[in-house]
Amino acid sequence: MQPCSDAPRVAPPVWTRRRREALAGYAFVAPDLLGLLVFVGLPMVLAVGVSLFSVDGFGGYTYVGLDNFRQMVEDAQLWQSVKVTLTYMVTFVPIGFVVSLGLALLVRDHFPGVGLVRTMFFLPHVISLVVVGVAWQFLLADKQGAVPALLRPVGLGDVSFLGNPALALGSLVAISIWFFMGYQMLILLGGLKDIPKEYEEAARVDGATSWQRFRHIVWPLLRPTSFFVLVNSTVGAVTGLQAFDLVYVLTKGGPANSTSSVVFYIYQQAFTFNNDGYAAALTTVVVGFLIVATGLMFGFTKGGRFDVG
Amino acid sequence: MSAFERVTRRSLLRGGAVMLGSAMAAPLLSSCGGGAKSGNAKELTFWNFYGPNPKADAQSKWFTDLVAGWNANNEVKIKLHYLPVSEYIAGTALQTAFSAGQGPDIFLLSPGDFLRYHNGHVLADLTPYLKPDQIADFDGGVLNTRKVDGKIYGLPMEQEPLAVYYSVDAFEKAKLSEGDIPKTWDQWLDVAAKLTTKDQFGLLFETIPGYYQNFTWYPFMWMAGGSAVPENGGAGFNVPGVHQALKLWQDAINSKVAPRKPQGDGAGNAAANLAGGYVAMQQTGIWSVSQLEAEKKDFKYGVFPLPVPDGGTYTTDIGGWAFVANAKGANPDAAGKFIAWALGATDAAGVERGRQWNTVVKTNLPARKSVQEAAKAAGAFDKPALKVFLEQVVPGGRGEPRYTPEVYKAVSDAIQATQLGGVDPAKAAADAASKIDTFLKGYKGAAML
Repeated sequence: MQPCSDAPRVAPPVWTRRRREALAGYAFVAPDLLGLLVFVGLPMVLAVGVSLFSVDGFGGYTYVGLDNFRQMVEDAQLWQSVKVTLTYMVTFVPIGFVVSLGLALLVRDHFPGVGLVRTMFFLPHVISLVVVGVAWQFLLADKQGAVPALLRPVGLGDVSFLGNPALALGSLVAISIWFFMGYQMLILLGGLKDIPKEYEEAARVDGATSWQRFRHIVWPLLRPTSFFVLVNSTVGAVTGLQAFDLVYVLTKGGPANSTSSVVFYIYQQAFTFNNDGYAAALTTVVVGFLIVATGLMFGFTKGGRFDVG
Repeated sequence: MSAFERVTRRSLLRGGAVMLGSAMAAPLLSSCGGGAKSGNAKELTFWNFYGPNPKADAQSKWFTDLVAGWNANNEVKIKLHYLPVSEYIAGTALQTAFSAGQGPDIFLLSPGDFLRYHNGHVLADLTPYLKPDQIADFDGGVLNTRKVDGKIYGLPMEQEPLAVYYSVDAFEKAKLSEGDIPKTWDQWLDVAAKLTTKDQFGLLFETIPGYYQNFTWYPFMWMAGGSAVPENGGAGFNVPGVHQALKLWQDAINSKVAPRKPQGDGAGNAAANLAGGYVAMQQTGIWSVSQLEAEKKDFKYGVFPLPVPDGGTYTTDIGGWAFVANAKGANPDAAGKFIAWALGATDAAGVERGRQWNTVVKTNLPARKSVQEAAKAAGAFDKPALKVFLEQVVPGGRGEPRYTPEVYKAVSDAIQATQLGGVDPAKAAADAASKIDTFLKGYKGAAML
């Protein structure tokens, strides 16, 4: 039997390769995205909700509207904490970046033992931050610590790095830089190695100095990587591990509240004072600040892409 | 059409939305049940920081034996839940559990934290489970800070007074003898100066901000005539006595006879500080007797009562933990019976339990007269250090106060500002008093003592 001449035409295929690939991509990302939504997004939404209540920490909720936000204006301790966090941020971020970049440049070119040197710079980052805190507590102990002992010949043996309000925050900054410099070095090293060697070689042939090569070739091409490191560093300084763990282990917010970061203060409000509502409001503001700050940075820098094609 | 092709973007998003919705609903559903009783009525959880702990030491064994003894004769069982002491005191586990409506049925509570839980309406009244003679057996005013309107909300397991420990070797090296033991604050600073060397501080006060620091500073406030909150119609925090007490701790730092940072986990650790040669004199509690015996057996030390300011009256702070029951727990009735049996029983076994805890596995002053008598008869207070505590340190002492977190924090800020921040004591006291007065105007909870 011959096929009927008026048989219906076959419809064009619905699934193209491109569509299937896109779908596969979504499927692979879904588990991680779902986890992010459940463990990060959802708590954020709930925190905003809780910030509208006065919570006694034992199951009692009383709606208070924006009272928790109004309370912030008059909270002197909060503003002290903001000052601490900002001071920490404006010292840790730039100094940490410069130190890390210096290390990255130092270990960029091959020399005997370079692998070992890179590893040693990275090693602090492998240790738990809590352990780091305990170790530095011993090193900095008044009179008997290794650091005071080393400084005694120059008359600084009596300095109390963690007990003096004028020095405690600086000590935390120094320890934080020591802890993170290896990690940041690694990222910057990756960025440096992405820069084609031919660019610098050509410049060298043309007589450019080391500084000129850095200033006009390396630094501009390193901007995307630098951006990542700086954003990461800024967010970490405000809410990351070092904003809480080091403070908790080494100083408990002291001496005299000189190291009471905003995150530590939020912790105190929630778990010492049972002010869960106020703590949630503070958290909401901190998250808002980070979103705005990061958004602005992305906007000004075109998402870190700059003008590199 | 292959199976894979049936999965569409829309169906994937729909599935994700369902999962997300379920996840969002879960905490809301659990929080709806926050006000209801949770847990198992036949098995009560007992959160503590003694046992069963990985070291399996004598204190841990006391707790496991206690619970085993109860479980052998009662239908409702007790299950111990151990948390390391630092996590219990400064961590978030206990508070988080209560916030989620999953607090333990029985737990340990210090006077310093009592009001937080009482004002949160989570402490069960234990009075119905105690006989009058059992209540009378509790020594002096040890129950006062656990009582509200005549009802008892916690039974203390111990009394832990503060005193000063000193290193015999350090005294000898400085050519000092027992006759040089200071009795006044001025003498104390003088002796500390003589004991201070290149490698050793003369004296240690707590410098880490927290409940413990406040606890150790209160006796100086009281001796000089001050109080964190007005008592018996008296003045409050901003008085000359408080200025004096703040100045004592400030002078110790400024004259460099005391460190700005203790060793180990704080100034309550005598093994790390005094016995480690970091300091020559250390203010700490009676618990350090057993700590030194366990960790630094050969260390030679003495104990003396806190020195008194000129014109002041001696006192010290007597701390100590209590068993409390969660009024919203699965079975507060059984919890109350357990606590009364564990700590309040006046039969031979009950007294022996108290003696074991206070003077065998630990070095404390028992909270009950019957246990004290049994301990004396067994020679517990023949040890020189404990004898000093019993005869010189404790008489005149007062219980650790119960203040709300707001008052605690105001006092803590004043101590820190003067001790380490160099602020004038009068200014620090005025600032703190202002915060306290403002708070008290709106305070509606139980009385602060």
